[in-house]
Amino acid sequence: MPPAIETVDLVKEYGELRALQELSLTVEEGEFFGLLGPNGAGKTTFINTLVGLVRKTGGEARVFGYDVEDDYQQARDAIGVAPQEFNVDRFFPIREVLEHKAGYHGVPADEAAERADEVLKRVGIYDKRNERFDWLSGGMKRRLLLARALVTDPDLLILDEPTAGVDVQLRHDLWELVTELNEEGTTILLTTHYIEEAERLCDRVAIMNEGRKVTVATPDELKGRGTDTIAVGLESTPASAPELGPYAHETTLSGDRLEVRVDDGGSIAPRLLNDLEARGYEIADLEISRTSLEEIFVDLTEREDRSVTRSTAESASDGDESETSETDTPPKREQEGVA
Amino acid sequence: MSVASRQLQSLIRREVLRFVRRPYNTFLPPLITNVLYFSVFGVILGSRIGTISDVTYIQFVLPGLVVLGAISNAFENASFSIFHGRWNEYIHEVITSPLSHSYTVAGYVLASALRGFIIGGLIIGVGFLFTSIPFAHPLYLVSFGVITTTLFAGLGVIGGLIAEDFDHLTVMNQFLLRPLVFFGGVFYSLDQLDGLAYTASLLNPMVYMVNGVRYGMLGMSEINPNTSLVVLTAATIVVLFVNLVLFKRGFGITD
Repeated sequence: MPPAIETVDLVKEYGELRALQELSLTVEEGEFFGLLGPNGAGKTTFINTLVGLVRKTGGEARVFGYDVEDDYQQARDAIGVAPQEFNVDRFFPIREVLEHKAGYHGVPADEAAERADEVLKRVGIYDKRNERFDWLSGGMKRRLLLARALVTDPDLLILDEPTAGVDVQLRHDLWELVTELNEEGTTILLTTHYIEEAERLCDRVAIMNEGRKVTVATPDELKGRGTDTIAVGLESTPASAPELGPYAHETTLSGDRLEVRVDDGGSIAPRLLNDLEARGYEIADLEISRTSLEEIFVDLTEREDRSVTRSTAESASDGDESETSETDTPPKREQEGVA
Repeated sequence: MSVASRQLQSLIRREVLRFVRRPYNTFLPPLITNVLYFSVFGVILGSRIGTISDVTYIQFVLPGLVVLGAISNAFENASFSIFHGRWNEYIHEVITSPLSHSYTVAGYVLASALRGFIIGGLIIGVGFLFTSIPFAHPLYLVSFGVITTTLFAGLGVIGGLIAEDFDHLTVMNQFLLRPLVFFGGVFYSLDQLDGLAYTASLLNPMVYMVNGVRYGMLGMSEINPNTSLVVLTAATIVVLFVNLVLFKRGFGITD
């Protein structure tokens, strides 16, 4: 079975601006895949290329093996997309909007009506079925976008920031629903600003920045690329921070509190305690905190920005046209080394 | 029914329901306008003008008014529906669906042509209130009705795709379409024009439409109706081809 999404060196240019820069990504069938990135990273451009709203400038893009331009009908038939913006037909009650959408996918009229009711119930706005889109609340509009994406029973569900600006209850409802769908076999591509969302839902995430793929990994792998901080409370305030082994990347003393940055807090902590006791420090308490995915994300995208800026500056000074290479290396600990 | 047929049927259904459910915007205005036209041009002025080629003036202008109503509505329906969909981005519901480009064009054109055809029929109905209509060549009448509304629905698709503002739609309707109609022999006979004006008129597609419908309704025409049919069919094929190319390229729709 071909991957749900496969892009190779995908490029989209708007004049001078390169919205997608040789983006190669693979999303396997049945995966829950997250696309993370700051505003302008190219996430929506990527999605719109798959569904036919953006024409690629170069490279390849396939959905379940179907080229998004040459085999656009098969590719689009497999996709249900809930976009970031509200782009719903205002002329008809929402139930009919869903019937029309199902009809465009070739669903017979009777079945389209049944499906419309079913998805409206599933997203919890069935009682609003005869209302027009403009009369719905913001949260209901968001639910309708999801219902419209589901009414065609897609194999690939694309959610472009589905929880942006919605309340906590709706966010949790949506999380529950998309998790169910994924468990039922639907491949899901989710773009989000909320790191917690990606961490909670996604099997793998790709971090994008300025149209490039920065890295692809599971949330746990990403978190593993960060460092942990062991905070040690001391019985008395020492004169200076202790000299520790190379496992300590950075050591900071603040009064009677010592903070040591290490790779793996859980395994290093006993050794650190032994070393401190051997040096005569009396320990009152200890706390280990992991680097959050959010910190990793910020670190990766900021490093990418620096890398691009540096590359651009070098290109400008050397007259060199070489591309900045993809950054797929761990953050912080390998870059900064031992304190 | 095949999957593709159901897709096309769904788009046509959506487009037809859009205008059927808004009769005050779609059906009533041309009815009222034509009652006024018939009253003023037909009854009040017509009684002073007398006959043209053995038909009363009201009978003479009736085919032109039918054409005017039919093509205006066919054009307006396609251009508005597409432009409004672009403006509010809900045309994405169609574009992101597996409808083929040719069926997408067919959906918009057929629904819009149907609206033009219905309006033309309603205007004929209004005409019955004011005069008799012999329907000399009904097959020609239907043929010209189909081809003219299809042509202008196709032009409306182009208008809807190239417009960047609602103003542009108004410009197309008022400054391009209407002058063509008024200089298309609706209210006067081409025989009244001198050589240059007559020749220039032959470049106006409206002349062929009006004369063709007049031939179908009254049995009189200043241009051979078969020539008119050929010219209009050729123009329609060209316009539909342009429609298809525009949708394939995603003109006005995709980035």
